[in-house]
Amino acid sequence: MEEKILSIRRAAREAVSSDATNLKELDAVRVRFLGKKGELTQLLRGMNQLSAEERPKVGKLVNEARAEIESLIADKTAELKSKELADKLATESIDITLPGRHAHAGRLHPLTLTLNRVKEIFLQMGYTVEDGPEVETDYYNFEALNLPKDHPARDMQDSFYITDDILLRSQTSPVQARTMERHKNNEPIRMIAPGRVYRRDDYDASHSPMFTQVEGLVIDKGITFGDLKGTLEYFLKQMFGEKARMRLRPSFFPFTEPSAEVDVSCVMCGGHGTDCKVCRGSGWLEILGAGSVHPDVLSMSGYDPSVVSGFAFGMGIERIAMLKYGVDDLRLFYDNDVRFLNQF
Amino acid sequence: MQVSIKWLKDYIDIDISAEELAERLTMVGVPVENVIRADAGLDKVVTGRIEKLTPHPDSDHMLVCQMNVGAGELLQIVTGAPNVKEGQIVPVALVGANLPCGKKISKGKLRGVVSNGMLCSADELNLDVEEVERGIYILPDDTPIGVPAAGELGLDDAVLEFELTANRADCFSVFGLLNEVSIVTGKPFNLPAITVDEDDARDAADMIKIGIDAPDLCSRFSARMLTEVKLGPSPAWMQQCLTGAGIRSINNVVDVTNFVMVELGQPMHAYDYDQIVGHSLTARKAIAGEQLHTLDDSNRLAKGGELVIADGEKAAGLAGVMGGFETEITDKTTTVVLEAANFNPASIRRTSRAVGLHSESSGRFERGVDINKTILALDRAAQLLQQMGACKVVRGIVDNHPVKKAPTSIDFTVEAINNRLGTNLPAADMIGILKKIGGAITAVDDKTYNIKVPSERGDITIVEDLSEEVARIYGYDRIESTLPFGRTVQGHQTPAQDFVDRIRYVLTRLGLNEELSFAFTNPTTFDKLNVPSDSDLRQAVPIKNPLNDEYPLIRTTLLSGVLENVARNFSRKNEDVRLFEAAPVFRPKALPIVEQPIETLKLAGAISGRREPKSWSQAAAEVDFYDLKGIVEELFERLSIKKYSVERGEHFAMHPGKTAVFKKGKEVLITFGELHPKVAEAFELTKKVFVFEADVETLMKYASKSFRCEALPKYPSITRDLALLVDYDTAAGDVEKVIVKNGGKNFDGVMLFDVYAGKNIADGKKSLAFTIKFQAIDRTLTDAEADEAFDRIVAAVEKDCNAQLRS
Repeated sequence: MEEKILSIRRAAREAVSSDATNLKELDAVRVRFLGKKGELTQLLRGMNQLSAEERPKVGKLVNEARAEIESLIADKTAELKSKELADKLATESIDITLPGRHAHAGRLHPLTLTLNRVKEIFLQMGYTVEDGPEVETDYYNFEALNLPKDHPARDMQDSFYITDDILLRSQTSPVQARTMERHKNNEPIRMIAPGRVYRRDDYDASHSPMFTQVEGLVIDKGITFGDLKGTLEYFLKQMFGEKARMRLRPSFFPFTEPSAEVDVSCVMCGGHGTDCKVCRGSGWLEILGAGSVHPDVLSMSGYDPSVVSGFAFGMGIERIAMLKYGVDDLRLFYDNDVRFLNQF
Repeated sequence: MQVSIKWLKDYIDIDISAEELAERLTMVGVPVENVIRADAGLDKVVTGRIEKLTPHPDSDHMLVCQMNVGAGELLQIVTGAPNVKEGQIVPVALVGANLPCGKKISKGKLRGVVSNGMLCSADELNLDVEEVERGIYILPDDTPIGVPAAGELGLDDAVLEFELTANRADCFSVFGLLNEVSIVTGKPFNLPAITVDEDDARDAADMIKIGIDAPDLCSRFSARMLTEVKLGPSPAWMQQCLTGAGIRSINNVVDVTNFVMVELGQPMHAYDYDQIVGHSLTARKAIAGEQLHTLDDSNRLAKGGELVIADGEKAAGLAGVMGGFETEITDKTTTVVLEAANFNPASIRRTSRAVGLHSESSGRFERGVDINKTILALDRAAQLLQQMGACKVVRGIVDNHPVKKAPTSIDFTVEAINNRLGTNLPAADMIGILKKIGGAITAVDDKTYNIKVPSERGDITIVEDLSEEVARIYGYDRIESTLPFGRTVQGHQTPAQDFVDRIRYVLTRLGLNEELSFAFTNPTTFDKLNVPSDSDLRQAVPIKNPLNDEYPLIRTTLLSGVLENVARNFSRKNEDVRLFEAAPVFRPKALPIVEQPIETLKLAGAISGRREPKSWSQAAAEVDFYDLKGIVEELFERLSIKKYSVERGEHFAMHPGKTAVFKKGKEVLITFGELHPKVAEAFELTKKVFVFEADVETLMKYASKSFRCEALPKYPSITRDLALLVDYDTAAGDVEKVIVKNGGKNFDGVMLFDVYAGKNIADGKKSLAFTIKFQAIDRTLTDAEADEAFDRIVAAVEKDCNAQLRS
């Protein structure tokens, strides 16, 4: 009897390891040994012919054999299952180099993206975003900015006129005067005014008859030229990165005193390239104009220059976007070629 | 304004390079745009002596030169020039030279003979000389050998080209610039002593009368008389100065007036005394229609009001802009009246713009000339001409000076200037800085000072101007950067700005690109867009001085810009185009324009091309009306615009059968549809384009400002499909309305999932299939309840829509 059990165990081991190459065959092996008519089951059925002393002994051996075979089958099942999964996965392999499927993804215009960044920076500093009409009066566009008729500085901007006194605004500065007029009692102002402006410039790689400007104005007690410097330095670092450096050159605008042209260290060469095409080797890029508000500009719009002072600045968004994105032709912004727009 | 370094060096010691000087001047507010070096490209050109000359073995016109260039060893150079001889000293371009003519010199062989450079001709060095002999430029025999050729050729000068700001009129003169050069170099400058020997004893006042009839336009008119004038060329040094200043040499008299203008900043004019009728000159306003015969020999008609200088008979020239023809200096001139006057800047500016003539002289007057320079200028001119032996000087100056200007005097405190700048300069430092602009400073009390501003600095009138002087001379870069403090402001955008931002974000998420187009338009656009002839849209604001014929108007609709952009993309083979723009349009209140037009913010856009991007696995289905409708519906959903009606729409630029409007009551929220074939043809759009147009303010009015999300249902819902056979013309939307209306309290939405006509459907009929959803919020709905509602819906559509239930 013991012999027989051992031989069944041997046969079962053999069958599990060699005969069963898939789950179906393995099930056949299970039936052969453990099924209702299986070899081990048959053996148990013959137990009642054994003596009472032998019965527990043989019973124990049979149970051991059953346990071994069950365990063998369980292990084999796991092995075959994982093999079958591996085989299945292998047949399901695809060409992962085929291009992915895209949806049409719309983009904001690069000038909007740039303007949004500018707005964000100034909103963080607690500025309001103001706007005003694009078709302006001569008064707001020029006179309220200390630019009377026949002022030679008017030559700096050739404007589109509708009548002698109405024009397409040549700068966003008129929003300054309009905003100041809305305030009373020397109330503080921190504002920017982004918007379209118009000048009679021929359309070429760096000029456009319509372009985008952002004007800034801060008025309060004790505002200094140093505050202007600090504010613009913060802005330029936010816009062009911590390494950006700033340089102010004395200049002239009728609405500010002192006035400055503001340069930022070249975004391409960092100010070190002698052959740099972007800054032409100078290391600096002219980026905005600024200054302390002229007292006449304050008083014309209802502020008392003996009580408050302020600073103002203006910048061209196209220029900043060109530098930021490496665009070498301004016309790309107004061409609206989707191959260009899709890149942003 | 431009001036050579050499001219400046006549009066001040400059020991820094022209580039360094340019940089420093720029940083004090006297911007130098360009440094033009006469020796550009000559850095590897040296002087060399031809020690030995032998014929080229393989050429009958080339010569082999052994050159001494001061290097010890002789340099072999092959030349083809016929004019060289042994012992001559010539300019030699060494290997590596990059000559101004564009030639680059490299080591090479000429017909087998090694040549280590090139002997240069005047042309190759861009020398401005008349060539006596063809060939190599021969230097004098005493020229040192092996030194840079530029110095020997007189080319070691540089010209500073300024781009001066409108306020710094004083810097349009050598004397004015000297002060700035002195500030940036710390060196003193010496002005020439100006003295005149009045060697014609007659009295100028007896010879010429100077009158001013328009003191508002001419505040001073001074004149000097010169006799026995001998016209001829001016000396070389003066010609060089003028060339450096960009002024052509004419003759000694004209050159001197120009020289003095650049030196002192006072424009001058010279008249032929004998041609002045009545020997009187009067500054007066021109009479409208008056003839002016100007020195360019053209007859101009005065508009009236221009300042002219007239003799006893007629106007002899436009003051400060252009002289008269008859009184011009000619070869026959022997007696000269020199004019140095002060004219009103605005008047000169208007006149020079009107006649389209901008001269060195008018440019200076426009910016403002120092009223106190006329006498000095006349003396300087007389002195220079006398030194040349070109004239005698009549005794006395006729000086008509009706408008005197008191010197500008400003009281200031150091504290006020420090407060404006954010600096903390001690009084002594600040006074030291301000003294550099000239003018006396005195203490008024223990805090207040007074400065008498020098009269050439007409731009300094108030304390704030002084603060700029302090800042620029102290150095902008030395002022500490700070951030404003004190009262703060709540930073925000306007609601309209926020709303447009929302539109932009939603539409880009829906796959549209934002475009930006010009606000200009053209009258033909309205025809192309099929705008009715009586439409207000044709009433566009005209620009008085448009850039060109293409853009004479300001737009009244965004659609033209959108369609032009689509067309441009199509022409570049960009087939999938989805664009939108939110921007203002302009409508006049009345024409002709007397008031600012009304600006209205509009939204417009277009889609065309594939529904999905081109791909290896997707069918290339093209977008249609319903893609655009989906975009519009989604936009409204995201803007929280609810409960609008959907109606068939009418729009001049859209297909009459494929246009829809969304409305609130009678108010149109948005119109969209397929582009009208006529419009598509006019814009040369060969593929179907679907467009939309809306008014942003109207959208904003109906967009809910708040948004609350709905809770998810806790109980299961029941769906029922409803397949109907309806007349082909029945609008699905009408059927849907009936379903919604009869849905009952547990109705939770209906969705059309199939539309079919054709096989198995009777002619004139179509099948519509809906999924209807029922949902109770507080319990699980029973089938019986759903069935009851469903049956009610079926009965209603059968009755109201002539529909049959399909089985």
